[in-house]
Amino acid sequence: MAADNHTLTEERPRRHRLEGPQKHVIAFIFSVVLTLLAFALVMSGEMNETFIYIMLVTMAILQVIIQMAFWMHMKDRGHLFPIIGILAVPSSHLPVSLWHFIGFGGKQPIHN
Amino acid sequence: MSAHSHADGKLPHEPEKATLEGRNKVLGFWLFLGGETVLFGTLFSAFLALRHQVGEGNPTGQELFQLPLVALATFLLLTSSLTSVFAIQAMHRQQTKQLISWLVITVLLGLGFLILEIYEFYHYVHEGHGFTTSAFSSSFYTLVGFHGAHVLFGICWISLLIGQLMKKGLTVITAPKVYVSAMYWHFIDVVWVFIFTVVYLMGKVG
Repeated sequence: MAADNHTLTEERPRRHRLEGPQKHVIAFIFSVVLTLLAFALVMSGEMNETFIYIMLVTMAILQVIIQMAFWMHMKDRGHLFPIIGILAVPSSHLPVSLWHFIGFGGKQPIHN
Repeated sequence: MSAHSHADGKLPHEPEKATLEGRNKVLGFWLFLGGETVLFGTLFSAFLALRHQVGEGNPTGQELFQLPLVALATFLLLTSSLTSVFAIQAMHRQQTKQLISWLVITVLLGLGFLILEIYEFYHYVHEGHGFTTSAFSSSFYTLVGFHGAHVLFGICWISLLIGQLMKKGLTVITAPKVYVSAMYWHFIDVVWVFIFTVVYLMGKVG
């Protein structure tokens, strides 16, 4: 008989605690605050460009970490594999991007 | 007793991971999201490399972008991510009605985001910022448009799942589908965080 992949395979009942919405609301508030800070920083006007770039990227990364941890369940059990995969991509790309961006990204000659 | 239901007629606590099929779907979806990350990574790289290649007389990002509109779109998408996590929590409580309601709200918020983006693109084209105007405009529309297409796909997908939930209810077959669609929706939100940072805010700075 062909194996039915839809058969329940959870052998022993694990204890599950249903989590409330509080943590997710806090993650949402953090995300909104970080977003507002980023927009306010740019709208406030004159400031050192490099400083603003670094601040913006830092806040974006922070917000993504919060959202992945809480909303994409990365803080939950059984997510080591995705975490390793996700860390591997930016750790190989970030140095190249930063070099490009701070080094000459903003000062390229325009060819017409 | 059907193999799809528990002996007491209740679903297991995490119905999305109760079957081999469900667990494979979640793992496979993480791999898919890895591929999506590389796709968006290349589009971001292309945009960063070309964003100053505006050409003579063409509008720059600094002139075009209206931050209040972008902020509103960001807020809609961020809220929709919260409502989709509420949908998953309702699923874990086996409250199918609440699950469907949260999914409907998520779809509506996504639709609001999409309408704002369509209005934005329409406005830009009238300002002389077409797809082929400059290297900047091409890379802008490719990156932001690809994200918008992902939102549209998510809206269609979750709408179909709502229909399936209404027809078949919450089972160990429908639960993994809802779970991975919520992961997809969060991923779209995460990509948008980088888009509003890199494209709009950095574009406004210069």
